[in-house]
Amino acid sequence: MVATEYYVALSAVLFGLGAVGFITRRSAILMFLSVELMLNAANLAMIAYARQWTAAGGSQALQGQGAVFIILAVAAAEVAVGLGILVAIFRNRVSTEVDGLSEVHS
Amino acid sequence: MITFLILAAVMVAGAIGVITLRQPIHAALALVGTLLALAVTYVTLEAHFLGAIQVIVYAGAIMVLFLFVIMLLNVERQQPAPRWPWLRPTAIGVGLLGAAGIAAVAFTDRTPLPAREVIADVLQGGSAERIGTVLFSDYLLAFHLVGVLLLTGIIAAVSLVQRERSNA
Repeated sequence: MVATEYYVALSAVLFGLGAVGFITRRSAILMFLSVELMLNAANLAMIAYARQWTAAGGSQALQGQGAVFIILAVAAAEVAVGLGILVAIFRNRVSTEVDGLSEVHS
Repeated sequence: MITFLILAAVMVAGAIGVITLRQPIHAALALVGTLLALAVTYVTLEAHFLGAIQVIVYAGAIMVLFLFVIMLLNVERQQPAPRWPWLRPTAIGVGLLGAAGIAAVAFTDRTPLPAREVIADVLQGGSAERIGTVLFSDYLLAFHLVGVLLLTGIIAAVSLVQRERSNA
């Protein structure tokens, strides 16, 4: 079996790529996609550590997998609200570029 | 190990596609590839139920929502020159540094995996029954709060995209 460290390293690489995408992308939808990538990288690390912690017993090890389930549900709610906001912004501005969004700036 | 390497290559290729492809549709499809490879990885990590959920909820529902909105808004390719030329190299440097830092910590604090029998016995393939036991004991409060959050999300999404009655 592949050791946990390799999964955590892969998760770190995916998280880094997501962070780079979030900073460099300028369209709000593409930034959102990068955020999804970061969320999934965190889930991968959580599931890898759930397998690592099986020596500590079932209720300890399965907490990692339970947390991933909760994160999935939160991500679904987040995407619904985020895309709703995007559609509302697009209606007013006909663009999803974030650099032009300065209405909230006083 | 070979399975892991193939899956890792697919995932990293998809992730690079997400952050470099110019067409939003192509970036979203690259993310679907990454998510499907991630679901297979969950199965290899004895999390069968979460692998299925990953395919159904993430690669299915959430990405369909994304593609739907991209097509609805008709976001065409738009990647003008960045306002700050130093932003891209700085972002890549910070991302590399962060990933290398996390990986270094993981590799310096290595603990051996439990025996194969222990893992199979405790996780039982990450079945829905095992996860349900945790969800309805340790995570009971979080489970209820997520239910409330999903309801709030539905109401918020509907009210956000609703047009004013006077404008209609």
